Amino acid sequence: MACTHDHSCEDHDCSSNWSLYKHIDLSKVTALNEANPGSVKSVFKAWEERLNSSGEHLESNEGDPELLVYIPFTSDVKIKSISVVGGADGTSPSKLRVFINRDGIDFSDAQSMQPVQEWDLVENLQGVLEYQTRYSKFQSVANITLHFPESFGGDTTQIHYIGFKGEATQLKRDVVATIVYEITPNPSDHKTRAETGGLSHVE
Amino acid sequence: MVLEATMICIDNSEWMRNGDYSPSRFQAQADAVSLICGAKTQSNPENTVGILTMAGKGVRVLATPTSDLGKILSCMHGLEMGGEMNLAAGIQIAQLALKHRQNKNQQQRIIVFAGSPIKHEKKALEMIGKKLKKNSVALDIVDFGEEEDGKPEKLEALLTSVNNNDTSHIVHVPAGQNALSDVLISTPVFTGDGEGGSGFAAAAAAAAAAGGVSDFDFGVDPNIDPELALALRVSMEEERARQEAAAKRAAEEANRQEKGEEAQPQSDSQNATSTATEKVSDPMDEDDALLKQALALSMNIPGSDSSAGDAQMSEATNDDQELALALQMSMHDGSKDSSAPSDVSKVLGDQSFMSSILSSLPGVDPNDPNVKDLLASLPGQSESQQKKDEDEQPSKDDK
Repeated sequence: MACTHDHSCEDHDCSSNWSLYKHIDLSKVTALNEANPGSVKSVFKAWEERLNSSGEHLESNEGDPELLVYIPFTSDVKIKSISVVGGADGTSPSKLRVFINRDGIDFSDAQSMQPVQEWDLVENLQGVLEYQTRYSKFQSVANITLHFPESFGGDTTQIHYIGFKGEATQLKRDVVATIVYEITPNPSDHKTRAETGGLSHVE
Repeated sequence: MVLEATMICIDNSEWMRNGDYSPSRFQAQADAVSLICGAKTQSNPENTVGILTMAGKGVRVLATPTSDLGKILSCMHGLEMGGEMNLAAGIQIAQLALKHRQNKNQQQRIIVFAGSPIKHEKKALEMIGKKLKKNSVALDIVDFGEEEDGKPEKLEALLTSVNNNDTSHIVHVPAGQNALSDVLISTPVFTGDGEGGSGFAAAAAAAAAAGGVSDFDFGVDPNIDPELALALRVSMEEERARQEAAAKRAAEEANRQEKGEEAQPQSDSQNATSTATEKVSDPMDEDDALLKQALALSMNIPGSDSSAGDAQMSEATNDDQELALALQMSMHDGSKDSSAPSDVSKVLGDQSFMSSILSSLPGVDPNDPNVKDLLASLPGQSESQQKKDEDEQPSKDDK
């Protein structure tokens, strides 16, 4: 399920593969159980900067390594694989469960719902591991929720980088916002072809 | 203007029958709840508020988060008191109600009125607080009513376990003169997290500063009828100034000897009103230049209009500032309203009119040299009018 990236990146442009971060709607990214509100936005960056932990990183609250990250995209995307760089000393997440196209998930929902896919993670401090998805299920993703239920024994969970590999489709998923049904029927809306004088045929 | 869904947890236990908050603890709580609902829905039209009761037979949700203020206020009617408050269950059910809110973009907030003793352990409350923090729910606690050993500590512990970046607050309201709602108006429970308060809170604060007149309509006015709001504000300011002048006069009679030292109640009231109005002046209501003017005067900001009046005021002793304030404010009202300010100041300059007003104020002694100085400071006044003043003194009755 995981493949290693065992060549140097100068040969081909790896960063272009991991460019889905450009399609993330950063202003609407949220995380639950983060120690610093808003720090979740710092984990989405270019591939080259994945190990650059000088800035902020996402950390869960003290004594509770569970994390929930909600990521909406600006257009529908297809996700081929996901890469996660955790922290040292057991603060890397050990499991990942994802949910697609559901918003407003909180911890009790995440713990009880069946995820679209889940992985057992390993400590990936160099960011060379990626976790492939069942591509057929990830064909039109408008938003994705990542649930990290536990860490490798650390008191908290730290995440320095989350990357998505795939392609953007430039389409937007149809969200049914408000529907107004007929309050009273209007016969003129329902004229059949026979009444309007066209050729009639039996349906 | 943060988008928020709020659940208010009301304590309707037997402890609420007590009358140490006027008219009763329960009534004071109900007033505070209606004010909070109004403030929340006014600050952002998409905000929703829900209500549940924690005592009685069990925790009962009266209204799920809705933006319909009428529905919320109507479900407050006919609430029965009884039983014991169940704080833990109340908070957890509030969290559940918020989880199922319609608009997932709203921030979640719970406001708890804790009036009766708390039977839960500190540990249990901290666990609840941690769970709230994990699901990013903010919590405001109003500690009032029954004072029990350990209750403030338990509530503080709950607050520290919930608090994430100062989004949660606690307010301790001891029993006493001030109504529960008046105390809450100036706290972050009402004004939100440091946004400086909505226009509603500002208006309500001004009303509270004007001698404790709790005027719910006063706050709603700017939306419905701005002219009425203006008229109400102006009359409120004049009434307040008049009452303060009367109080000051009474105090001045009592300690004539103290020169330059303000009588305690007056100075306290002046400090209180100036701090209240300072807070209110921060959210500048652009439309209301008049109120801004009055506030500037009350904070004695130099450089406001009528410099002649200011110069004269500095000559008069501190005791007269309240009276001068009242007169100046009424004059400024006149200058804003009419394009011909001279008309109003002529009226005010009219000596007989002024004297009749002054004599109608209880405790004002027209013979007092301070009053005479003050009258001389009015714009449009000349020395001749001062002489007229002295002529009229013998003919006035002393009140």
